[in-house]
Amino acid sequence: MSNKKIIDASSKKVFPDLKEIFRYKDLFYTLTWRDFRVRYAQTTIGFLWAILQPVVTLLILTLVFGRFVGVETKVPHILFTVAGMSIWSYFSYVMINSGSSIIASQGMVKKIYFPRLIIPMSKAIVGFIDFGISLLIMVVLMIYFGISPSSNIWYAPLFIIMGIFAALGVGIWLSALTVRYRDFQHVVPFMVQIGLYITPIAYPAEFAVQKLPDWAATIYYLNPMAGVVQGFRWSMFGSEAPGDLIYVSIGIIVLIFISGMAYFSKVEDEMSDYV
Amino acid sequence: MSDVAIKIEGVSKKYTIGKQKENSLRGSFGGLLKSAAAKGEEFWALKDISFEVNKGEVIGVIGKNGAGKSTLLKVLSQITKPTEGRIEINGRVASLLEVGTGFHPELTGRENIYLNGTILGMSRKEVKAKFDEIVDFSGVDKFIDTPVKHYSSGMYVRLAFAVAAHLEPEILIIDEVLAVGDAEFQKKCLGKMKDVAETGRTVIFVSHNMAAVEKLCSKCFLLNHGNLEFSGTSSETISKYLNSSKLNQYFWERSQSSDNKAYFTSIKVYQDGQLDITTSGKLKVEFKYQIQEKLSSLNLHLALLDNYGQVIFSSAPEDSGIKKSLEIGNYASIVEFPEDLLFPIGYSLKLILWDHVAGSFIHHDVNEKIRFKPIETQSLINKTSGGRSGILAVKCNWKIE
Repeated sequence: MSNKKIIDASSKKVFPDLKEIFRYKDLFYTLTWRDFRVRYAQTTIGFLWAILQPVVTLLILTLVFGRFVGVETKVPHILFTVAGMSIWSYFSYVMINSGSSIIASQGMVKKIYFPRLIIPMSKAIVGFIDFGISLLIMVVLMIYFGISPSSNIWYAPLFIIMGIFAALGVGIWLSALTVRYRDFQHVVPFMVQIGLYITPIAYPAEFAVQKLPDWAATIYYLNPMAGVVQGFRWSMFGSEAPGDLIYVSIGIIVLIFISGMAYFSKVEDEMSDYV
Repeated sequence: MSDVAIKIEGVSKKYTIGKQKENSLRGSFGGLLKSAAAKGEEFWALKDISFEVNKGEVIGVIGKNGAGKSTLLKVLSQITKPTEGRIEINGRVASLLEVGTGFHPELTGRENIYLNGTILGMSRKEVKAKFDEIVDFSGVDKFIDTPVKHYSSGMYVRLAFAVAAHLEPEILIIDEVLAVGDAEFQKKCLGKMKDVAETGRTVIFVSHNMAAVEKLCSKCFLLNHGNLEFSGTSSETISKYLNSSKLNQYFWERSQSSDNKAYFTSIKVYQDGQLDITTSGKLKVEFKYQIQEKLSSLNLHLALLDNYGQVIFSSAPEDSGIKKSLEIGNYASIVEFPEDLLFPIGYSLKLILWDHVAGSFIHHDVNEKIRFKPIETQSLINKTSGGRSGILAVKCNWKIE
């Protein structure tokens, strides 16, 4: 009997049933594809928005940090910034959208069963639009400045994977928390805003490490994206190799991801009662 | 292999009312400080429900609003977890608590078929295989590549139901989805449901439409305040439900004034010299109405309804050759039913009046406010040897030569 299912009020799930999630892969695929399809539907300039936003952010950051503040970087400042911004924009997209994803699909959550984890997870794929566009801008700038990628580029996938897990971990936490506590809807934009400054996007991470006492530098790397952004940029251009503090970021990513999955499982069964 | 499709043991579901406050951070922090007594009121939507459903059975679940029907379906379809108890399900389940779950207005009909199909548990391959059938059933083939936001609501519902109708689960859980669409489409849906039932699949069906339940289901569960009050054959359970929920109501009076240009103010049913309505004698319906604007022609109808809310017959002033216009004012009418007409079963009344006045349409009705179940006394029914069948005892003229 393969189709026997038992629902027992006294049994508690501690971790998501990954096998079940795999069985729902078609739904995962469809939801992801739906998000792709409708993302810029009904806007007049459509896909241009996806390019306009990072370009404007990039120009502002370069103007403020590169020109006004005069941050010295090995590669042109704009190139330096776009590398960090690409993985950061992926992270922030996934965090914002998976955070609100369960609430946004409450119509479905109330009316049908499927592993709820699929909803925030699908956003991790959709976020690659933003990532890809920023990377494209970066490639264009690299050609313009005549800079070729460093030999560390083989490490890039590693940092991208770290970025995915960081984004998913935070996103899964937020999606579950927002169901219970709507306050988090207001917390997330705030987090994105702060994150843009406390993450070494427009300035090198050494600045922070040098100017802060040791204990504070460790706290700085508790921001999972600090290590990811620094490492990703290093894999692109070779400057400022991540120090031992990157293990703090790796550790926090693993912690957030696993605890997020566990918390999600704990509240998953009752999500439909709260949304 | 057992023949049990669903086995439920001692299932209860508790909700806490007034959770809004707790739903915020402040509520949660506050909750830590205050005693547990400050928490919301507990409410048991289901209380200790146990039953078994065999494979191939078509089960109806009936009960008043708030009796726990929807909660039962939600628990069965795993949307929410029971607070207590255990459920065992043998077979692939599809639940249909709504048609068109997950439909996205910006997507085309074709895209929504895939979307909705996978949400309901089909694989993309299955949807692809049945795609033509689904489109055919829905009858929207011309607009299949148009975004569904441009669909009429009828088309939307038809497409959504078409997807659902092509699910092939072993156990199907359905909530009131037939309450949508036009009459013709509803008929089509009922037909499809009947097909599903006849292929030996297990179906659990919640509905307020007693006629549909009686037609489709072999067995019924009656829920009341979260308890499983009765289970038995459909007709048994339905009559139990109808008897428990509809008490005699001999008098109705309008509680507030109306904006209507003409409206009923009170209705009363009685039999001369009787306290209760009985099966013998003449039933009289006395009703009062107020006319606020001159009516060129009075259209007045009185209908007798059965327990299902379906009209048995209707009558109008023309029966007595009355046809007239009405000036502004208060009026009263008495309608006398033929003698010995009623059975000892539940009836209700509907009154309608309408008119066209200078382009504006006046319409007022009072539906099922009056209900009664005649007490069986000496009348045509028991005077006939072998009793009588039907819902009305009509005296006809006989000749035997």
